[in-house]
Amino acid sequence: MPDSRNPMKDRVAIAGASTTGFIAKNLERSQTSLAAEACVDVIRKSGIDRSEIDGICGSYPTAAVMQSTLGIPELTWSGNPFIPLVDHIATAAAAIHAGLCNVVLVYHAAYRVSWNTGSALKDPFRRISTPGLSDPHPGPETMASSAGYTGWASRYMHEYGVSREDFGLVAMNSRRNAAQNPGAALREPMTMDDYLAARMIRWPLCLLDMDVAVDGADAFILTTADRARDLPLPPVLINAAVLGQDRHNEEDQTVSLRQHGQQVVIETLKAKGDFWLDDIDLYYPYDGFTPITLNWIENAGWCEPGMGGKFLREHWDDASSRVLINGRIPMNTHGGSLSEGGTQGSGHIREAVHQLQGLAGDRQVAGARRALLTIGGFFFNAQGLMLHTG
Amino acid sequence: MTDEISNEALVQRFPGEPITHDNAAHYRGRLRRQLLVNRCDSCGAWHAPAKPICPDCWSSRVTPTSVSGNGTIFMAIFLHQGPPAEGVDYSTPYPVVTVELQEQAGLRITSTVVGASNADITIGAPVRLEWQERAGSPMPVFALRSAANA
Repeated sequence: MPDSRNPMKDRVAIAGASTTGFIAKNLERSQTSLAAEACVDVIRKSGIDRSEIDGICGSYPTAAVMQSTLGIPELTWSGNPFIPLVDHIATAAAAIHAGLCNVVLVYHAAYRVSWNTGSALKDPFRRISTPGLSDPHPGPETMASSAGYTGWASRYMHEYGVSREDFGLVAMNSRRNAAQNPGAALREPMTMDDYLAARMIRWPLCLLDMDVAVDGADAFILTTADRARDLPLPPVLINAAVLGQDRHNEEDQTVSLRQHGQQVVIETLKAKGDFWLDDIDLYYPYDGFTPITLNWIENAGWCEPGMGGKFLREHWDDASSRVLINGRIPMNTHGGSLSEGGTQGSGHIREAVHQLQGLAGDRQVAGARRALLTIGGFFFNAQGLMLHTG
Repeated sequence: MTDEISNEALVQRFPGEPITHDNAAHYRGRLRRQLLVNRCDSCGAWHAPAKPICPDCWSSRVTPTSVSGNGTIFMAIFLHQGPPAEGVDYSTPYPVVTVELQEQAGLRITSTVVGASNADITIGAPVRLEWQERAGSPMPVFALRSAANA
């Protein structure tokens, strides 16, 4: 049941965001090294001294490892939430608003791991360090994790009578936007024929329906809106944040395409936030798997259920070969998980911050002031974030 | 019961399976070729996967109970690659299906379909329970049933 109570609204700001950029190969660096590079950069660019940081929030490596790596003297709060990254932003913002700390460093290192890439499997350091490697390996007969998205893709096609081309449009939009992002892993042009010819992994989803495993990191500085106004970069205010779940969150027990965590996120954002679809300049639907994106578009209310592919065709800008909703709102300007790299949402958030700060280079959307981010999937990790420049 | 094997032996019969105190009875049922799903003694609701209490009425009186194994295919995917498993050859895409059981709307079990061509494994198709062996232990699978004897 959505609650409109939102005392944190616009009281916490993202003061800076940095990235290493992403690459689809083993950089032969540690996860800590990648995270440290992004962290040092964001601390410098945000105009704070490291001694001001009194909170750290990330998953891998742990907050304790990042603190000692960066030589941050004292913390009064730390958090190690689970991905995707709205969890980290919401948790850090809540800690600041509650007075547990004043300046939080949030980081996320995307890292090719030995259970999903051959190059990482050949790296002995990665083989022994990969989280979860010693866990029991599930057999083929499961809808858990990524197979669940494939299962629901089969339902999507069955219920709405649509073809795989609808998924392909999501991948093509991401690839076209990645071409303008020097930090993106995959930038070469992609056509619908390329999509349809790509290697099938689990029908109905092929290699190009899935995010790309990358090495790289993002980092953020969060602080009070008041403190952020004294810093060199324009503050990006957190208007609303939500982590949504539905009771039936096992992948094969999810009630339907019309009842899962995404619907909770959308209703809650509408209740807590100050702006909605007609007012935004930027849209970031998660694209870890292409059917997730179509579902977000539909659940956000851009179009009716099952009409996501038709919506993308109707809003396809032929001049730039990508989606421009109503001729002006781009979707996943950085190339998303499918082409910039699988960053578990950190890339979407960092790109939105850069766009709102006017720091997005060749892909800058002129006058961008409000962004809607719908991050994560269906089952237990649907998340939403509304950011603006005030 | 005298025919029930120890927890230690149970784990050894199903290497890699996430067996816990809450679902051990389900795996013991597999060894007898019985597909057991938790059912609440108080309100009658079925729940999968196994949970320690009834999520509807919070009764702790939940009983692993045999299901008919009849249902319809709710989701169907075909693995062109996947983890190694005995008897699984990905040169023909391997079907993985979620079956909605007839006992209760929304009660679903995920496994594979045997004895059918992939073209016939479609969402909505009626299925029945079958058993096959993997690594020496019975594994519940499904077979298509024709509309006539459904």
